[in-house]
Amino acid sequence: MTAVLDPARGAAAPRAGRRRQSAFPYALLVPILVFEVVFVVYPIIRGILLSFHQTSFGVTKFVGLAQYRQMWHDPVFWSSVRTTFEFTFIMTAVWITLGLAVAMLMNWSFPGRGFVRAILAIPWAVPDIPVVLTFAIMLDPNFGILNRFAAFIPGVNHHIQWLSAPNLAFIAIIIMVGWKGFPFFALILLSSLQAIPDDLYEAARVDGAGPLRRFRSITLPALRPTLGLLAVLGFIFSFQQFSLIYLSTGGGPGTDTSTLSITIYNQAFEFFNYNYASAIAVVGLLIAVVGTVLYIVVQRRVTRGRRLEGVNAAL
Amino acid sequence: MAAEVTPVTARPPVRPPVSPPVRARRTVRRKAKSFVRGAIIVIVCVVALFPVYWMVLTTFQPEQDSLTYPPDLLPHGIQFGTITSLFANNPIASWLLHSLTASAICVVITLVFAIPGAYLLSRLRWHGVGAFGFLLLFTQLMPGAMIVVPELQFFRELHWTNNLLALGVLYAAFNVPLGCWILTSSFDSVPSEVVDASLVDGCGRIGVLFRILLPLSKPGLVAVAIVAFFGSWNDYLFAAAFITNQSMYTAGLGISTFITDQSIKLDQLEAAGVVFALLPILLYLTVQRHVVRGLTAGAIK
Repeated sequence: MTAVLDPARGAAAPRAGRRRQSAFPYALLVPILVFEVVFVVYPIIRGILLSFHQTSFGVTKFVGLAQYRQMWHDPVFWSSVRTTFEFTFIMTAVWITLGLAVAMLMNWSFPGRGFVRAILAIPWAVPDIPVVLTFAIMLDPNFGILNRFAAFIPGVNHHIQWLSAPNLAFIAIIIMVGWKGFPFFALILLSSLQAIPDDLYEAARVDGAGPLRRFRSITLPALRPTLGLLAVLGFIFSFQQFSLIYLSTGGGPGTDTSTLSITIYNQAFEFFNYNYASAIAVVGLLIAVVGTVLYIVVQRRVTRGRRLEGVNAAL
Repeated sequence: MAAEVTPVTARPPVRPPVSPPVRARRTVRRKAKSFVRGAIIVIVCVVALFPVYWMVLTTFQPEQDSLTYPPDLLPHGIQFGTITSLFANNPIASWLLHSLTASAICVVITLVFAIPGAYLLSRLRWHGVGAFGFLLLFTQLMPGAMIVVPELQFFRELHWTNNLLALGVLYAAFNVPLGCWILTSSFDSVPSEVVDASLVDGCGRIGVLFRILLPLSKPGLVAVAIVAFFGSWNDYLFAAAFITNQSMYTAGLGISTFITDQSIKLDQLEAAGVVFALLPILLYLTVQRHVVRGLTAGAIK
C-alpha cells in the first residue's frame, strides 16, 4: 500500500523487478537444493561407490563389479526380487479393489456419511508399530482372534501359525499392509466418484441399464485415469514398505517375506556387509527411478501434460 | 398410505405416472434397499475398525482375558492401571519426548524449505523446474532402505549418530518434497489476479509470498506440518540404524524392543501401542476435513 504512494519506489520498482525476475528463482533454489543434495543425492552417490568396493578387516579396496557378480549368482537376491514383485503386484490389486469397494459405499448418501468417512480412514493414521503389535496379537497361534474366525472355514485347524508358516506369513503381511493402506485409495477414488455427474447415471437408468452395466459403462471409464495413477502409487507405496514387514516377520520364515528393502537391511545390519547391501540397493534405486518416471508419464497423461505435479497426499 | 409419508424426491420428468399400488411397492423396496445399505456400511465399519478395537480392548482388559483361547469379543472387566504402570515401569515418557523432539525439528525444517520450494514450483517461471521436480519426486518415492547404509556412514563421519537433532534434519530431507507438493497446490489455488495486482502495487516477489500467498495458505501450512510430523513420528528404519544408545531411543524404537521382550505383559505392550498411536490419530481426526483433499487438489483434477 505504501509502495504505491511512494513515487521513488514506484519508479524504481519495474526495473528492479525485472532484474530480480531472472535471478530470484535461483536465489530461492540454492538453499533447498543444497539441503537435498547434501542429505539425499550425496548419500546416493556414496552408496553407488560403496557397491564397487569391499571392506574387510578395516581395509577398503576397489573390486569393480565383484559385488554385482556375487548378486547375480545369489539365490537370496533373486528370491527377494521375486518376492518384491509378487508383493507389490498383489498389494496394489488388494488396495485398489478394497479402496474402490469402500469408495462406492461411501458414495451412497446416508446420514452420518462424513463421520463414517472420517473413522474409516483411521487405519491410515495408525503408525506402523502399533499396527504390528495389534496384528501380532490378533494372529497369535495360541490366543489370536483371527484363528477363531478361521475356524469357521471347514477343515481349518485351530492354531494356525500365521507369521511363521511358509506362504501364510506372506498372506498375513498382505492382510496387515492392506488394512493399513486401503483408506488412502478409498478416499482418492471417492473424490473421483463424486466428480461423476449424476445425470449420467440417471440417463443410463432411464435407458434401462442395470447396476453392473452402469458400473462398466460409466463408473469404470470415468475412474480410469485415477486408477492408472493409483496403480503406480500402489506399486511405489508397497515397494517402500519396510517396518510393517521387518517388525512382524523379519523377512521370514526363511526368505518368504524378504523384499528388497528387508534383504538390504539384513545384509547391512545382520551380516554387516555394507558393500553387498549397497549393490542390492543400487538395483532398488533403479527400480525407484523406473517408478518415478512411470508416475510422471501417467500423471502427464491424466493432466494432459500441463505440468509436473507431485504426490500430494500422505493422509 | 406409506407413500404419503415418504418425502417426494426429485424424479426425472420422463418417468410415466405410476399407480398407487406400484408406488407403495416402490416405497417398500426403497426402504429395504436403504436397510441393506445401512447394514453393509455397519459391517464394513466393524470389520475395518476391528483391529483398532482389539488394540484398545487388549490394553484395557486384564491380561489373562487376552491370553485365553477362544478369545471373547467383549471385555469381562476393565482396568485402568495398565497405562500408569506402563509409564511407571518403562522410560516411555522420555522416549515420547525424544520422538517429539525429532519430529518438531523435522516439522520446522520442512516448513522452512517447503515454502520456497512450493513458490518455485507454483508461481515462478525458470529453467530447470522439471529437473527440480524430478529430484523432489524421486526423493519422495525412493524407499528409505535403499539409502540407509551410506546415510549412516555419512552421519557417523559427522559424529551425528545418537543425535535427535541430526535425526530430525534427516527426516526433514525426506519430508520436504511432500511439503512442497502440498503447498504448491495451496499456492496454485490463490487467484493469479490477486498476485498480479499486488505485484503491480509494488509488492516485490518476496512480498507476494509473505503478504499474499502464505496468509492465504494456512490450511496448506498446517497440512505440511502434520504430514512432516507423521513422517518422522512413524519412522523406524532410520532411528534403528542411527540411535544405538538406549537412553536416546525414540518411542517407535523403544516400543519395538517390547515385541521381542518376553517380560513385557501383553496389556502393557498394547498400551504402549495405544499411547504411540494416540497423537497421530487425534491430529488426523482434527484436521482430516482440511487435509484429506489428497490428490484431488494436486495430481488429479
